[in-house]
Amino acid sequence: MNNNSNKMFFLFILFFSTLISISSNSWFGCWIGLEINLLSFIPLISNSKNLLSVETSLKYFLTQSLASINFLFMILIKFSLLKNFNMNNIISIMMNSSLLMKMGSAPFHFWFPNIVEGLSWMNNFMLMTWQKISPMILLSYYFNKNFLIFMIIMNLIIGSLGGLNQTSLRKLLAFSSINNLGWMIFSIMISENLWLFYFLIYSMMISMMISLFFLMNMYFMNQLFINNMNFFIKLNLLINFLSLGGLPPFMGFMPKWIIINFLLINKFYFLIFIFMMTSLIIIYYYIRIIYSSFMFNYFKMKWVNLLMKNNMSLINLSSFISISSMILSTFIFM
Amino acid sequence: MMKFLFMMIFMIPLCFMKNMFWLVQMMLFFMMFLFMNLNLNIMCFFNMSYMFYCDIISFGLILLSIWICSLMIMASESLFKLNFYFNFFLFNVIFLLIMLYLTFSVLNLLLFYFFFEASLIPTLLLIIGWGYQPERIQAGMYLLFYTLFGSLPLLMGIIYIFNDLNTMTIYFLKFFNMNMYLLYISMIFAFLVKMPMYFVHLWLPKAHVEAPVSGSMILAGIMLKLGGYGLLRVMIFLQEVNLKLNYIWIIISLVGGLFISMKCFCQVDMKSLIAYSSVAHMSMVIGGIMVMNYWGFIGSYILMISHGLCSSGMFCLANINYERLHSRSLYINSGMMNFMPSMSLWWFLLLSSNMAAPPSLNLLGEISLINSLVSWSNISMILLMMISFFSAGYSLYLYSYIQHGKYFQGLYSFYVGSSREYLLLFLHWFPLNMMILKVDFISIWF
Repeated sequence: MNNNSNKMFFLFILFFSTLISISSNSWFGCWIGLEINLLSFIPLISNSKNLLSVETSLKYFLTQSLASINFLFMILIKFSLLKNFNMNNIISIMMNSSLLMKMGSAPFHFWFPNIVEGLSWMNNFMLMTWQKISPMILLSYYFNKNFLIFMIIMNLIIGSLGGLNQTSLRKLLAFSSINNLGWMIFSIMISENLWLFYFLIYSMMISMMISLFFLMNMYFMNQLFINNMNFFIKLNLLINFLSLGGLPPFMGFMPKWIIINFLLINKFYFLIFIFMMTSLIIIYYYIRIIYSSFMFNYFKMKWVNLLMKNNMSLINLSSFISISSMILSTFIFM
Repeated sequence: MMKFLFMMIFMIPLCFMKNMFWLVQMMLFFMMFLFMNLNLNIMCFFNMSYMFYCDIISFGLILLSIWICSLMIMASESLFKLNFYFNFFLFNVIFLLIMLYLTFSVLNLLLFYFFFEASLIPTLLLIIGWGYQPERIQAGMYLLFYTLFGSLPLLMGIIYIFNDLNTMTIYFLKFFNMNMYLLYISMIFAFLVKMPMYFVHLWLPKAHVEAPVSGSMILAGIMLKLGGYGLLRVMIFLQEVNLKLNYIWIIISLVGGLFISMKCFCQVDMKSLIAYSSVAHMSMVIGGIMVMNYWGFIGSYILMISHGLCSSGMFCLANINYERLHSRSLYINSGMMNFMPSMSLWWFLLLSSNMAAPPSLNLLGEISLINSLVSWSNISMILLMMISFFSAGYSLYLYSYIQHGKYFQGLYSFYVGSSREYLLLFLHWFPLNMMILKVDFISIWF
């Protein structure tokens, strides 16, 4: 059931539902968008080659509908009981919690690494990037600052420490996505423009990485060492992972730098320390993935033949942009 | 100044063409010659263009980095002969040189940080890509994480300064006083890890032992001096906190230097011995910078340049032995005077410079540092005396163990040094021992 028009239909409704959710005038419209989002993602999951797809779709449905019901209930309570605009109350905490659960943020993240095992790479890409847009923007409409700062800390710590013991590439990217959610929640507390900037660059980096893994059909870490990658694929992998970790001189450094700037303007000194230290742990397990691309001659199996499905010129171009854009942009703006 | 940047950027396509290995090295020597002929003014920043500048410290360190990079390519002829990814190696060297050049020559403190971090990536690639043992992975991780752990607070400090002062130009920082303890720690910790100071020095012996000769040369030659350069730039606006707290770092580095010098006597690995001697020299450099008097700065700057040349030369010598005997161990590398007497001359010249014998530049550095540290406190006389004595001790120990005595019976045949190797060592030794005749280029700042 790959590449057929059924999936294209549901994909179209998925995109449309996010647009409904973020551009509605009333909280009901937001809820409607979230529900249609959930319903149209489920058919995309089904894949007869993956043994876990049924379990995945059931888990996704249960968690997301629980969050949606919670959200609807809190909207109704807010309409009927609360007539003020104060955001420091229990209702905002509940609404934020339900949205955080939709995104897969800690402490409601337990479903997220579970179900990425049952999804193909393209579905993972949709889950990690597009599905985060509408909950994020809804979060920015009515958030509770103290609660969200606590959630950011939990996201960062769980995202960094959770990935230390993983060998499946999908789970690793899931934990890294949870960590990046911490950065994104902070950026949406500052400004929506800032969040958009971070989100676009993050989506670009994740898309490069996921398309690389998709073309090589790789799902686990030990597969990185067995096959015979040619030199440019390894270089691409290296650049993309280091860029995702936020190391200069790659492009992934820029959004983190700007967020650190805003953290310091707003005097979040303890929080920035946690941001830095968890980012070090994340870089550790990224580098574990790309050991094979540091070493030029390692033990390769001769009977493994790596056939690339498409040509890689787009990925090569985007990696080149990833190195050079950072350096070029510093020359322009400074 | 930008013309050198463009020259280096356009050398990158040259790395990927066929049979261009020696041409790239010649171009780097050519660029060194062009750069040497820039105007050198004291007391100010000169050669300012869009975002670049030079002053005395930057000028000397950029010269050192171009010199060491070209000598790196000369030392790695075996990569070219064996056809082991030398194209990517040349690209790595040029990329590293670009990052180092930019680190020393940008006017903006945040860009300094950016290129300071960026120079780690090609170093990591050099160590893990062309190193020899499987332990190089762990060495690369130690290098990356020690440096990152120190430099992320540096990023926080720099952005805090920007939010407070609304400027990042290095020249303007001397007009301000940011006297906060936490800012002080976050700013200098990165440079102390990079130098390295005693307690955070563990990455250096690992990285040196596992690195190929080019990686060792650039690490010992320039990467440690990035820390010194950063300290020299950052101390200016933290003066009051410096006066209160610098004694901690002086004590740690001097006592640590003493311990490290004693540890040099226990080493079996040649490269490990030279790496520990680097830490001991750098401990004196940290002491000199932290006392904050003029002779201290001068002495540490001179010792940085001379140590860069001297350590890099010693790593070349260790590699010359390694290429023949395939071992770095002192037990196997003994009695070399029987086989390579001309190389014994170079061992002696470079090791005598290491122990700060006249007429080397190390001597001037150490004398200036001894003067400044003793003027700060009389008790440091004891520590400095012990460090200098032990540095003479282990340098002589290394020389005597390698050259004198009976040779290892299991050796196969090998040839005495080629002209390229003699040229390499000559180009390390010549600036080191001849620059003492005209020291005002590096020791008169105002």
